Amino acid sequence: MRFRYILILLAGTTITLSAWQWWGGNRVDFNSQIRPIFNANCTNCHGGVKEQGDISLLYREKALSNGKSGKPCIVPGHPELSELITRLKATDPDDRMPLKAPPLADEQIALLERWIEEGAEWETHWSYVAPTPQKPPFVFSFWPENDIDKFILRKIKDEGLTPAEEADKALLLRRVTLDLTGLAPSPKEYDDFLNDTSNDAYEKVVDRLLTSAHYGERWAAMWLDLARYGDSQGYQKDRHRDIWQYRDWVIEAFNKDMPFDQFTVEQLAGDLLPNPTVDQRIATAFHRNTNTNDEGGTDDEEFRVVAVIDRVNTTMEVWQGTTMACVQCHSHPYDAFPHKEYYQMMAFFNTSADADHTNDKPVLRELSGIQKRQQAELTRFIATQKDTCHEQYLSARQKLDVIKPSRTPVMEELPSDSTRKTHLFVRGNWMVHGQEVFPQTPKALTQLPKGAPTTRLSLARWLVSPQNPMTARVMVNRFWEQLFGRGLVETLEDFGSQGAKPTHPELLDWLALRFMNENQWSVKKLLREVVLSATYRQSSELSEELLEKDPYNMLLARGARVRLSAEQVRDQALSASGLFSPKLFGPSVMPPQPDGVWQVIRNVVKWRNAENEDRYRRALYTYWRKSSPYASFITFDAPSREMCLSRRIRTNTPLQALVTLNDPVYLEAAQGLAWQMKQVTALNPEVSIREGYRRLTGRTPSQERATLLLDYYRQSVRHYRTSPRDVLKFLTMDYPKTPHLAALTATANVMLNMDEVLTKQ
Amino acid sequence: MEKLLKELEQTDRQATTRRYFLKQSIGHMGAMALGGMMMGCDLFKGASDPSLDSLRLSHFAPKAKRVIFLHMSGAPSQLELFENKPLLRDLDGLDCPPSLLEGKRFAFIVGTPKMLGPYADFNQYGQTGSWVSHHMPYFQQSVDEVTFLRAMHTDEFNHAPAQLFMHTGSPRTGRPSFGSWVTYGLGSENANLPGFIVLASGDAIPSAGKSIWGSGFLPSQYQGVQCRSEGDPVLYISDPKGMPRDLRKAAIETISNINRVQHQEMGDPEILSRIEQYELAFRMQTTVPDAMDISREPESIHQMYGTTPGQNSYANNCLLARRLAERGVRFIQLYHADWDTHGSNSNEALEIGFVNRCRETDQATTALLTDLKQRGMLDDTLVVWGGEFGRTPMAENRGGKKAPFRGRDHHKEAFTMWLAGAGVKQGFSFGETDEIGYYGVKDRVHVHDLQATILHLLGFDHEKLIYPFQGRNFRLTDVHGKVVKQILS
Repeated sequence: MRFRYILILLAGTTITLSAWQWWGGNRVDFNSQIRPIFNANCTNCHGGVKEQGDISLLYREKALSNGKSGKPCIVPGHPELSELITRLKATDPDDRMPLKAPPLADEQIALLERWIEEGAEWETHWSYVAPTPQKPPFVFSFWPENDIDKFILRKIKDEGLTPAEEADKALLLRRVTLDLTGLAPSPKEYDDFLNDTSNDAYEKVVDRLLTSAHYGERWAAMWLDLARYGDSQGYQKDRHRDIWQYRDWVIEAFNKDMPFDQFTVEQLAGDLLPNPTVDQRIATAFHRNTNTNDEGGTDDEEFRVVAVIDRVNTTMEVWQGTTMACVQCHSHPYDAFPHKEYYQMMAFFNTSADADHTNDKPVLRELSGIQKRQQAELTRFIATQKDTCHEQYLSARQKLDVIKPSRTPVMEELPSDSTRKTHLFVRGNWMVHGQEVFPQTPKALTQLPKGAPTTRLSLARWLVSPQNPMTARVMVNRFWEQLFGRGLVETLEDFGSQGAKPTHPELLDWLALRFMNENQWSVKKLLREVVLSATYRQSSELSEELLEKDPYNMLLARGARVRLSAEQVRDQALSASGLFSPKLFGPSVMPPQPDGVWQVIRNVVKWRNAENEDRYRRALYTYWRKSSPYASFITFDAPSREMCLSRRIRTNTPLQALVTLNDPVYLEAAQGLAWQMKQVTALNPEVSIREGYRRLTGRTPSQERATLLLDYYRQSVRHYRTSPRDVLKFLTMDYPKTPHLAALTATANVMLNMDEVLTKQ
Repeated sequence: MEKLLKELEQTDRQATTRRYFLKQSIGHMGAMALGGMMMGCDLFKGASDPSLDSLRLSHFAPKAKRVIFLHMSGAPSQLELFENKPLLRDLDGLDCPPSLLEGKRFAFIVGTPKMLGPYADFNQYGQTGSWVSHHMPYFQQSVDEVTFLRAMHTDEFNHAPAQLFMHTGSPRTGRPSFGSWVTYGLGSENANLPGFIVLASGDAIPSAGKSIWGSGFLPSQYQGVQCRSEGDPVLYISDPKGMPRDLRKAAIETISNINRVQHQEMGDPEILSRIEQYELAFRMQTTVPDAMDISREPESIHQMYGTTPGQNSYANNCLLARRLAERGVRFIQLYHADWDTHGSNSNEALEIGFVNRCRETDQATTALLTDLKQRGMLDDTLVVWGGEFGRTPMAENRGGKKAPFRGRDHHKEAFTMWLAGAGVKQGFSFGETDEIGYYGVKDRVHVHDLQATILHLLGFDHEKLIYPFQGRNFRLTDVHGKVVKQILS
């Protein structure tokens, strides 16, 4: 917060002071006022890694004790007797703290003195305290649609601002459809909504989207970054891994609105549930997405340990917003996680049967629930068909034939007679064993219930227990970020004392408790409530005033405006062009990719451009090779999935422009879109352009835009009329090869590159 | 541990410097301010402080403006190239004494391997009298240009982890590559070309895959851009067939004009950034193919490098490296694959595959040094040559059997690398190994030390080039690394 505070001052605004207020009255507040001073100036030398002079400011007990000097560091109630203050004020540079750095500001020292006077109370870092029930603040206004808005509005008003108008209907439909299904609305969906004047038109749309089969695909895309899902093993030859059943499990779980607690338990410990189903075992592939090293001459134990460590780090990041990786080598420098606790966490994961085998053992060879359902449907359909030469019959047979079990890597425990012991690794070196340790959760984050067996299953249940302060907060924050482009806590991955502070802490707690309690971990209910809020529905127009006062939209006095994700850029182009295949589930597919991109390590897997509908499947189904992920996704900021990633950092680069201008995928989309544009009129380019613009945005182009596009169409058509050879080269698909269609295609290519199309606004 | 503590103190002090201050204040987006050609992250909207440009300054005056890193992936044998060990010749065929094996881990060697004499003839060259084997007849003439690091060592003895270690400072995936760190810190000198370009030759890219030029947790604009010799030099850089240049130009203008209208309506500065990126993309469509077109080089240059336009060869990549360096590309990473010399098949044989790798590279590497020098570019260009680890003085004996060809196992304790150009001594040798080239006995240089030194030459304190991620500050050199001052000129 300290740095954000400075930044905002830099930007010339004054919205900061109230950010402190929620931390309470006039007493000096440890978490918001004192800890930041310690973390920025003191804990490097007097913290978890280093306790110079035998002083640590992480724990009160330690800070109240005498240091090496024999003088008490802090005497509650007596700043004048506290060595801390004496040293901060010292004039001799050898004595003065912080050593060899500029002195603290007088105000900071005064604050510390006041805090000591008031008793020098330590407080647990906010996120380690369970969320507390919050009453939505009273605000006199007609604006709020629900309680979320009251929290947001209170703060907007405190800063002397007003919320934005509701977004234009078409923009709003596009926004909510992209957010809930990852796809842009169809022309019919635009028409239906724009013509629906009833009061609950928007609510009806939201409910329709929440039941769409594409809803699960959209949210799976978010989850798969966390799960580090890929279709390959990661290292060296980066061989194929059959793990798509897990991806389908995630889609299905979101579609069914599986409560998030169950979603958690099945993925982390489905195998340990009583009589686990096939699907519950498939879910455990979550933690089999770790990399396997098939390189000759590698020590399997070394890379087994790497995988186990990755499971600890991933679990802690995904559910606890806690960065444990540094505790591998030493105690956490800022947060209260001793070195040993890392290995106690590791002990939960250290007894599974997998051991960096190239064949990914143990694997499950079973049909998933989804596959069995598909099989039953197809068998039923085939039974009703009389004409066995009919196309539909043949296609059904074909589909039935390809439904086969895969070899999904799953979690399994070693039998108890051959289980492993876990030792602390001295300085993180896996070959230097320290004391033996046993499974235990970190003290800072509450303990397992008394008497609970110390298994992965208990760990999973502990993560979603009402006592765990983190999980619900971390998760609602992730969903919030997906909708608004920024979390209530900006650092989705780090809720610790070095992470960002929540911009709306009461709202975060309110959402977290509601998610757990009233809504029983229903993600759909959570999302529904957020997208129905007036906050979400605001226009994203940005005035000069707002740009200056709140450049990052932390106050949410306007709607979100962010570039589409890598997946959405592709899916939108395909759906607008009519090429899109809505097919769900199944093995990953290979849409066109230039030759030679997979010139990776002794081609054990080959890229073959799909020729059937698999060419136009959603991005989510694209084959994901970790050492060489699909080029255009990486360009649009998708991660490699070699490790868990909470937050894609959005960039804006010329390579992105080259993809959407020149990648054959987008040229085929432009041809498809041009064909759709041509369907509505014989030869009138103005009408065609209007249709294309409508398919992409739901709106009629402004006069200026229409003119610019028409001018470009005219220039194009002049060229293609005089150069039939270019028409043949440019139009690669089975559409009529006319100058008109070539010019419409060039125009569609332009339209697919407009900022308003690449952006959710 | 001590280094870590030192680093922590260091970062504390940095809190007062402007660079760090701004970086923290804009969180992860600090990166953008330091950006290469590819500016613009939408989280950074609104902050348009022109003085942010000054952030692209190094910590102190740099000696090197750019780096050409010639990575020989698979690990060439130092014992057949630069390390003349007569004793090893005498020991050829004898059992390795147990004292050399105790407590050691190898990738393939099991039981008691035999010692393997060098498959090379050595002579001294140049005024400095540096030893080079007969496998590199061209390079023999350039020894007075370079500083040899003869006692390099690393932590990893498997290819992928060791390559990751060399290029990202960590043996695990997910960290930013060397070139990403450098462009993050320095940006590019040429606004129309990527700041970090990768050229790969040989049968395959290195074992560790594209992760070794990925941007890890740095924003994706810092990832290495692979320039290819077949197909588009940069993916999707060519206009589609049947789309003439003037029509493409008109398309970009139309897009920009519509986006300007959009900006008037929505007020989001990110839209202006997008307009810039499209115009830059259009310019790159000319500058990249131009830089990548070696056909216009004079015949004398082709002779010198041994290049044939249109091939995917190391020689072509060396010439391209010079052309990219001339155009201000900051970090040019070459990979030449297949140096893995186990003796298990002919391509992995010292007698065959290894000799071929030397032939494929020797002339062009030397030409690159000569060419940079004759253009005065060696003064501000640093050239680095080496593999990810070294090779054992023992023969490989996979499965306890004698290999069909001569070959050596992976070895992390000793290998040779060399540096030439900006800021390093000419005709200098640093470090010594024991009589059989098994262990460094004097002036050992760890991979993190090498990284620290290269960053130093580029004007960075390697302990200050940091990026906050997952609650801690990350560096290329992790919590280690010491600048090798002795080799600085």
